[in-house]
Amino acid sequence: MHTSFTHPDLPARSVLDALAAAGFEMGAPSVVTRVVIDTFDGRLHDAGLRLEQHAGAVDELVLSGPVGAPAAHLAWSKPAPSLGHHLPPGPFRERVASRSQERALLPLLTLTTHTRVVSRRDRRGKATVAVVVHDRPTLAEHLAELPTWVAEVVGVAGHDDAFAGAIARLSMLGLVAAEGDMVGVVAGAAGVSLKGRTSSPTVPLAPSDDALLAYRAVLANLAHTIDDNLPGTVADTDPEFLHELRVAVRRTRSVLNQAKGVLPDDVREHFAAAFGHLGTVTSPARDLDVYVLGWSAMVAPLQLPDPRVLDRVRKEIERRRNSAYVTLAKELSGPTCRGTLDAWRAWLADPAVEPASPRPIGPVMARRIAKAQAVVLAHGRAITPASPPEALHDLRKDAKKLRYLLECFGGLLPTKPRKAFVSQLKALQDNLGDHQDAEVQLAELRTLAHDLHKRAKADTDALLAMGRLSDLLDRRRQKERDAFVDRFASYDTKANRAALAALLADAEAV
Amino acid sequence: MKVAATYSIKGGVGKTSTAVNLAFEAARGGARVLVWDLDPQGAATFLFRVRPKVRGGSRGLVGVGGELAPHVRGSDLSPVHVVPADFSLRHLDLHLEGTAQPTARLAALLDPLREHYDLALLDCPPSISLASESVFGAADALLVPVVPATLAARTLTQLVDFLDDQVDAPIVLPILSMVDRRRRMHKELVESLAADWPELLSTAIPAAAVIERMGLERAPVGVTAPTSPATRAYRSLWAEVAARLWTSS
Repeated sequence: MHTSFTHPDLPARSVLDALAAAGFEMGAPSVVTRVVIDTFDGRLHDAGLRLEQHAGAVDELVLSGPVGAPAAHLAWSKPAPSLGHHLPPGPFRERVASRSQERALLPLLTLTTHTRVVSRRDRRGKATVAVVVHDRPTLAEHLAELPTWVAEVVGVAGHDDAFAGAIARLSMLGLVAAEGDMVGVVAGAAGVSLKGRTSSPTVPLAPSDDALLAYRAVLANLAHTIDDNLPGTVADTDPEFLHELRVAVRRTRSVLNQAKGVLPDDVREHFAAAFGHLGTVTSPARDLDVYVLGWSAMVAPLQLPDPRVLDRVRKEIERRRNSAYVTLAKELSGPTCRGTLDAWRAWLADPAVEPASPRPIGPVMARRIAKAQAVVLAHGRAITPASPPEALHDLRKDAKKLRYLLECFGGLLPTKPRKAFVSQLKALQDNLGDHQDAEVQLAELRTLAHDLHKRAKADTDALLAMGRLSDLLDRRRQKERDAFVDRFASYDTKANRAALAALLADAEAV
Repeated sequence: MKVAATYSIKGGVGKTSTAVNLAFEAARGGARVLVWDLDPQGAATFLFRVRPKVRGGSRGLVGVGGELAPHVRGSDLSPVHVVPADFSLRHLDLHLEGTAQPTARLAALLDPLREHYDLALLDCPPSISLASESVFGAADALLVPVVPATLAARTLTQLVDFLDDQVDAPIVLPILSMVDRRRRMHKELVESLAADWPELLSTAIPAAAVIERMGLERAPVGVTAPTSPATRAYRSLWAEVAARLWTSS
């Protein structure tokens, strides 16, 4: 039971005084720092849990949720664990690690408050309700305007009357009830998501905005995402950092390639090539990440009598993946990549960059999206059962280009129909992506089998199992290939084409 | 949720102090704990400062249509909740008897709360009865305090013999309780118990004034004497119990 209150004008002191006058017992003041921790993709949040590290009067990890259950507290004064499996054995670890699995636990938000707990007790001396007053909240690395204080009423099971009484007392002071607990209220005010580390490629735009300025806003947002994910990639903290970085790099490249006539040619060509290089150097590590992350699911259908048969193969893939990361870290910290990113940031921040002849972004983008769609349709329609796998791979790239424009410049388009159209496109992309993943993994597995055989590092059982795995991947690849016809037909419908035309109409009309 | 019961056929061996202090240590170690006081004396209820009142009496608690959730009370140790006892629990056997499956009744009552707690600790009265059998049906482990006295091992043998005939019986974890190592007889009995009972947990709970004072302080020793040998013993005991209950973690 939690209800929060705040007020823009009343000081926190007035709440404390009112509660003290009503017989509440005043606790000692303390400065508490809370760090909200989750995996990159918010797995704990998705499971209805929130993990926080508290430092102050009590040093502990607190795991709250599901609704109605008491929060779990684990005495903890060390730095936060980087993996769920690093927690001590017991139910706390079981609940965290079963959700976070192999993903790193990352700080999402750091919040400091001057906290005071006031409680009402019954005649046995037991607390029946507590009001936690969090004064002067500050968020690390955020300058957003926050509530000056938040008071949380925390109920005690079996004492509903005391809970209702405390709420009534605070309501009488004219306080404003706020949704969620203190962390939720402050995060909401600061616009910080507690659903993991999310970054959106979409920036607010209007169709009448100047095209060059709009492109620069989109590209600056992507540059911010690259910067955000670079340290985690270099440190190999979690595979999602590299994934997010690569997506931002691809989006940047795609936007640059669609910027002809808007960005100066020399800038566009130079950076498109530089980001192309950045994409290339990050590929091997990502391909091997996909392999490692999907390994268990991939080998499960083999139903091997002894799964250890493939241990050496798995370890070899992991070794290659780790080695690829070492190479990647050197590349990303080297002069070429650093030079690219430094020069890119400098150009994006250069106030002297101005449009030669201003023109609105709306019609420019509507035409480019329509053209990207035309390319997807033409290439997709040209694919036959006899087409080589590269044709599907090329179509996948075309679909990505379209998707990136729809997302990066999504601020120009109405949200709901845009998302509906993107979900149709995504269904096609999923098919093409699964086909491509199977192709890449099949090729990697064949190379690996040859290498291990040549170096006498795989016994007969392992080679046989790799053969079965290869067969499995080949069948998966074929299955996706067979599914392509229907998947593309579902995308290439009259209704879907009309939906995109309607989506672009307003932007085009400026 | 794992279910453990502090249980002994014998009285005055430290069941309640074990339940209350283990609940505190389990909570400190990251577990959400529900202490269910099944003893009509309500000693655990008293130590947690919870009002000794069972709405509807033992019939309302365990009888047909009964639910556990409305009886749950918070304590001053935030992740420890308590289902209190009162004197009506002297009729527990009678009201269990009236249900369709009395020996599965306590497990059925705990079942809806499985997602809310990691550990349910059942503090049992000293007896062997229908309620005890229902406890055996619900529990993953019986934590059996054994005092270093000549007849103590006998009641443990009686319990183990009884459970030998049960299907899905809980594991029995004997715990040395009220040990005074300055006394030669205690030392000798501890050694012989350890030799006879390999399941005996290695932590021995000392006979200590801080434990006796729990009735005055109405709080676990971890709160009133956090650095005392008794607190260290309960912390170590919880580590052993947790390792046995969460072996897969």
